[in-house]
Amino acid sequence: MIEIRDIEVVIKGFKLEIDYMDIRDGEYMIVMGPSGVGKTIFLHTIAGFIRPDEGRIYIDGVDVTRLPPEERNISIVPEDYGLFPHMNVYENISYGLKIRGYSSREIINKVTKISQYLEINDLLHKMPSHLSAGEKQRVAIARALIIDPKILLLDEPLKSLDPRLHIKAISYLKNLREKLRFTALHVTHNIIEAFYLGDRISYLSDGRLVGTYTLKEFIDSEYGEEYIKGIRELSKMI
Amino acid sequence: MNLDFKKIELFAVAIYSLSSLALFIILAPLISIFLITDLETIDKILISDYRYTAQVYSAFTITLEASVIATTILLLIGIPLGYLLSKFEFRGKEVIEAIIDLPLLTPHIVAGIMILSAFGRRGIQGIFGFGGVEDSLTGIILVMMFVSLPIMVDTVKAGFNSIDIKYEYIARSLGANRFNVFKDITLPLAKNSILAGYILAWARGVSEVGALLIVAYYPKSINILIYEWFMVYGLKYAAALSVVLLSLFILIFASIRVLTR
Repeated sequence: MIEIRDIEVVIKGFKLEIDYMDIRDGEYMIVMGPSGVGKTIFLHTIAGFIRPDEGRIYIDGVDVTRLPPEERNISIVPEDYGLFPHMNVYENISYGLKIRGYSSREIINKVTKISQYLEINDLLHKMPSHLSAGEKQRVAIARALIIDPKILLLDEPLKSLDPRLHIKAISYLKNLREKLRFTALHVTHNIIEAFYLGDRISYLSDGRLVGTYTLKEFIDSEYGEEYIKGIRELSKMI
Repeated sequence: MNLDFKKIELFAVAIYSLSSLALFIILAPLISIFLITDLETIDKILISDYRYTAQVYSAFTITLEASVIATTILLLIGIPLGYLLSKFEFRGKEVIEAIIDLPLLTPHIVAGIMILSAFGRRGIQGIFGFGGVEDSLTGIILVMMFVSLPIMVDTVKAGFNSIDIKYEYIARSLGANRFNVFKDITLPLAKNSILAGYILAWARGVSEVGALLIVAYYPKSINILIYEWFMVYGLKYAAALSVVLLSLFILIFASIRVLTR
């Protein structure tokens, strides 16, 4: 379980405050909120790229607030997937295992297994520049999941996909999650992603976490109402 | 509309004319030095006349040796310095950046006097009593390092700055410590800038003459030899040797451009 308590981060005049948030093992938590509200800063604080000015982050009861990113066992998939451009798909996926000192045999076995799961086994020798957006997304998820992270952070991972691929990718992520049961914190603007994938939704507004809701609670909340209203208006226009 | 169209045309003509003038400033001396040089003189200094050839090959060997040693040492110290300035924030960073760029603004003769006072008989060499700096290969290497250091550091730093920080973040989240990130991610992604830094720093070192006149006239490096021939024989032999040097430079830069395309 991940617990975030009384976090305060100040960067260039912007302040992010999280009083309390918890993400249970196996849970898929969605983080929503308007642009510029600090969602990426929040993810980077959990990952350890940004050190909070106040507060504590616990993983399974252990305080990791002062631990560097490499000692947290938290992996991240950024918006544009961030595949290392000078490594092929195999090298990208295996990097975390190589760093951890796994033997070549173990690495081959694990990469083969996860690439079969994610249906990317025919891409292993390709360079990232030769992959489609959907393929990049799968490779980035494979690279993040292969180290068996305590939590997978996804920073708007489906944003750059076209609408047709977007729906496919949501359903793909859903199936993958059911297969592998990983814990995730997924930042998105998209209500469909949130409802289809999320167990709960945390909402950020004006640099503050205003609440964590079940899907039903979110629909009934003032923030959820806005999204529902938007969808209704859109369907009328169509 | 017509008026606007004319204005745009005039603008384009002005841009082309001024750009041509800028190119002319480089091309005119380049073309004319080739035009005033005859093949007979080149043959004499490179092949047939031992009085000249011995000097030329010795000067080329010394220049190549000194420049490769100087640039390789600069590479080893320039990469960490470029990385420090790119990735770390600390007090006095701007002062250090200004100090690094100082050799770019220092008159070459002044640079020579500075190097001599720091590393010569009245400086570190005198204090610690180790091998000579004046009129030695060590002196040439020191001069080349001094004048080339800003180019190496600035180019490498620009390369590190251009790498998206997300790659380093992702590598760390996958378990890499700072050293592993540097070795596996930052360094390979900056390799083109490092190569460019090496070539530019090497070229800058090879082209130095002012500071060498003060610190190490001997053993004669190629530019010192060109300068001496100009003073002794006039333009003919100095131009011929310059053409040889220029041709080598053009060949090297063209090959690198083709290889790194």
